[in-house]
Amino acid sequence: MTKIGLEIHCQLTKLESKLFCPCKANYRDNEPNSNICPICMGLPGTLPRLNQKAIEKATLIAMALNCSTPEKIAFFRKNYFYPDLPKNFQITQLNIYGDTSIGGIGEITIGEKKIRITRIQLEEDPGRLIYEGSSSKNQITLVDYNRAGTPLVEIVTEPDFENPKQVRDFLKVLSDLLENLDVSDPSLEGAMRADANVSILGGNKVEIKNINSFHDLEKAVHFEITRQESLHSRNIPIVQETRHWDDQRKITISSRSKEGDLDYRYFLEGDIPWIKIGIDVQEKLKSTMPESIVSKKERYVKNYGIPEQVAEVLSSDKYYSDLFDESHNQTNAKEISNIITTDLMGLADTREKREQSKLNSSHLSDLADAILSGKLTRNSAKNALYEIIKSGKELSTIISELDLGNVSDKNKLEEIIKQVMLEEPQAVEESKSNPQTINFLVGKVMQKTRGKADPQLTLELLKKNLD
Amino acid sequence: MNKLVTEEEIELVAKFMKIDVHDHKEYVEKVHSMIDFFNILDSAGVEDEEIIIADLPLSKLREDMHIPYEDNLIEKLKNFKGNYVRAPKMI
Amino acid sequence: MNLKISALEFIEEVKTGNISVEDFISATIDQIKNIDEKLHAFLHVNPESVEQAKKIDKKIKLGEKVGSCFGMPISIKDNICIKNSKTTCASKMLENFTAPYDATVISKLKEQDAIFVGKVNLDEFAMGLTTEFSAFGPSRNPWNTDYVPGGSSGGSAVSVSAFECVASLGSDTGGSVRNPASFCSTVGYKPTYGLISRYGLISYANSIEQIGPITRTVKDTAFLLNIISGLDPNDNTTIDSGNADFLTDIDSGIEGKKIGVIQEMIGDGIDPAVLSATNDAVSKLEGLGAICEPVSIDMVKYSVASYYTITATEAGSNLARFDNLRYGYDLPLEGYEFNSYISKARTKFGPEVIRRMILGGFVPSAGHAGKYFLKSLKVKSKLTKEVNDAFTKFDYLVAPTVPVLPFKIGEKIDDPIALFLVDINTVIANLTGIPSISVPFSISNGLPIGIQLLAKQNDDKKLLQAARALETTVQLPEVPI
Ligand SMILES: [Zn+2]
Repeated sequence: MTKIGLEIHCQLTKLESKLFCPCKANYRDNEPNSNICPICMGLPGTLPRLNQKAIEKATLIAMALNCSTPEKIAFFRKNYFYPDLPKNFQITQLNIYGDTSIGGIGEITIGEKKIRITRIQLEEDPGRLIYEGSSSKNQITLVDYNRAGTPLVEIVTEPDFENPKQVRDFLKVLSDLLENLDVSDPSLEGAMRADANVSILGGNKVEIKNINSFHDLEKAVHFEITRQESLHSRNIPIVQETRHWDDQRKITISSRSKEGDLDYRYFLEGDIPWIKIGIDVQEKLKSTMPESIVSKKERYVKNYGIPEQVAEVLSSDKYYSDLFDESHNQTNAKEISNIITTDLMGLADTREKREQSKLNSSHLSDLADAILSGKLTRNSAKNALYEIIKSGKELSTIISELDLGNVSDKNKLEEIIKQVMLEEPQAVEESKSNPQTINFLVGKVMQKTRGKADPQLTLELLKKNLD
Repeated sequence: MNKLVTEEEIELVAKFMKIDVHDHKEYVEKVHSMIDFFNILDSAGVEDEEIIIADLPLSKLREDMHIPYEDNLIEKLKNFKGNYVRAPKMI
Repeated sequence: MNLKISALEFIEEVKTGNISVEDFISATIDQIKNIDEKLHAFLHVNPESVEQAKKIDKKIKLGEKVGSCFGMPISIKDNICIKNSKTTCASKMLENFTAPYDATVISKLKEQDAIFVGKVNLDEFAMGLTTEFSAFGPSRNPWNTDYVPGGSSGGSAVSVSAFECVASLGSDTGGSVRNPASFCSTVGYKPTYGLISRYGLISYANSIEQIGPITRTVKDTAFLLNIISGLDPNDNTTIDSGNADFLTDIDSGIEGKKIGVIQEMIGDGIDPAVLSATNDAVSKLEGLGAICEPVSIDMVKYSVASYYTITATEAGSNLARFDNLRYGYDLPLEGYEFNSYISKARTKFGPEVIRRMILGGFVPSAGHAGKYFLKSLKVKSKLTKEVNDAFTKFDYLVAPTVPVLPFKIGEKIDDPIALFLVDINTVIANLTGIPSISVPFSISNGLPIGIQLLAKQNDDKKLLQAARALETTVQLPEVPI
């Protein structure tokens, strides 16, 4: 049997500042080493200044994954030497003196599959290394410490996964959950990383480190299972080892275990007292916790009669569900869910597009209301949506500028219908014996009005004229 | 001399701690006698003792606010190339 | 110019216009020039001291607001950061390190117009109790220059004792303020853990150490505590102790107070002169109306082993950052791989530091943590319980600060265990977080003896009252320099 366990590293990208200093938590798009201060550079004499919100956000994650949350949490030092680690130790969490990690044992169900969470811990991200120089003689490592100290939550699971598909399903649910909690933006580069451990047939466990995206995690696990199965089929023993994921070649590579990595000499970080998160604080946090994806979905189905599948898609994406929740009322809810899931998802499917989009919730309710009142056809609404995203203009402005309004003026429509009947005498004739032909005529009317004719009214009038 | 702790072990620890130790005698002997001295802890009878640590309410911690550092710190450090800190090659 | 005045006297003299800050600072700098070659308290003298003094004189003359220190000359142990000045920790490893920021205590003193006349000597990274382990050479005891001044804040105690400044800041990890204070006949204070911010103090054993003043009088210590103590957002371990002004009511006396005499600190290994001084101190305390009774604290026996295990562990980790990459000395990177480079760079640490780092790699390691480190934490916890228990019966505890008299330079440097035992009376205050003060008490054969008083956590103000009471019973000869 294949057993896979994960260690997910998730940056709390929704924070303003780093875990232990007031430098920016979002280190991206900065000149190298411009987002640093004496604290995150570990200068002698500096001390960590713990970020209150980081503890709150990490606790929310623990609660959302149904983990136990202790009343007091403690920090530990993990000691090892590496150039990206300014203090040459990492401040992290552990459960050696009782359960003092931010999240204890928990569980999450994905479809039918239960995944047990071992522990959740809050820790600091190291800086980043850049390798320079071609010949090994003059090679130099360059270090950018902008990332050093970024708040990172590590989610450790039991080896409960049996195949890469389960891993993928879990990652999907987890990233939706993190986004819904407003703790992290999983789409940011490097915001989600992972280590995995894989064993087959009860054999030795192999650790895979350095997997820099969720996308690669599934691949890495798949590669590793295949590698182990291939060894097994040739009767080659699988050694217990640590392998690195090579994201260029998409394979795992055995890494020589480095001396010094063997013993981290964990002990308590004396510069940070144990932090009391009393029951009252936990209750308060719980009350501020955003509605879960599951509960959103249920609400959408039950209250508005939105089909299960549409509700599923809508609820699992925070961007869409926020838009939906801000824009809908009892009457237009279903129509809005339609606009979002059929049209908007194609127009705002990437981070960049979402960031550039000028759409707001009142645009959406206007659109839905216009459709419901027959002012716009669905087709015209789609065109209007495209314009709104681009320009952010009011729907009414766009309708008049692009002349999108429905042709629902009876006289005007009747005129067009008469014209079509003159142009298509054969179809008119045929319609007497074959009622299906009427659809062809509706199509012709639509063509002439560039899709703006009210389809209901068109049909009505056509029938009347044909009789 | 404490035979529980070997000379090799102490040398290995020095290596872990990233210090080239040349004069082994100087270190090994004194470190040995120090560790020997620590064996007194075995008779303290504290096995069942709980470890007490001071605590702080969450509300006393720093508010999550970005405050840029006033100086260009990298210029005050050494070994930099452009905006990067230089480190030796990694193997 | 009379340099032999206390901090409070200095302020009074300046306020009343009897002396100018410039004259006093100039005389202080002359004193340093004249005698520091012999004593070696200073690693660095501030060349701008006199200029700074002139500015303060000008402010006084113009009637502008002047900080409460009025240009008082203060020396600072060289493990506390002053912005844009060198902070070496008396180590070759940091010989060229310029701190880019001020320690909290430094900012607070700057606001009150203190003048930092210089940075003073210590055992490298504060690891020692004689100042012999300074990479830049030992300091000498002004009472007899063949003798050690104590440590690790040796430079601080020497500079105060030899009138090279009015007051000094040291740091106390296991007695590093009180021990040299006792050896040099000055007041030395280790506050309740968290009373003073450690931001800007280069860590040795961060879970137990504190910055502490070294002064001529108990009142001067109270005065400095008023300035430098308090909650600091830059140090999550600082506490709101509830002590308001440490100076008010300092003369309240100790009538009716109960004082426990720690039996484990006046038994085996104590120098007879120290024992007799301690007995004398107990009588004097009783003479002031206190009730003194023996008290036993079992865990004292194990406290030194626990102390050195914990400090070695924390030091091993705290000093890991010195890898010579972001700051340090010139050593080209080319031709080295990371591990070989930093292992080579770190040979700049002195032998005592290297020994402690090896210990610090050993005692918390996976195979040995249970036997050494974990047990040490448990001793620390049990000791804390015992001490808290004692304070349910007593207001104060008393013991000699150091069980022996100052010894000769070189006498114990090669015997780590003999050195360990010199710490036995002071480490308990660090392991339990309680405040403790060393008060100059007597001179035996020309060498000073200090008496240590201890109080329960956050009773700093009350402790100063007892120290002040004891101080009033003492008349000491002048330092023979
Ligand atoms: Zn920073």
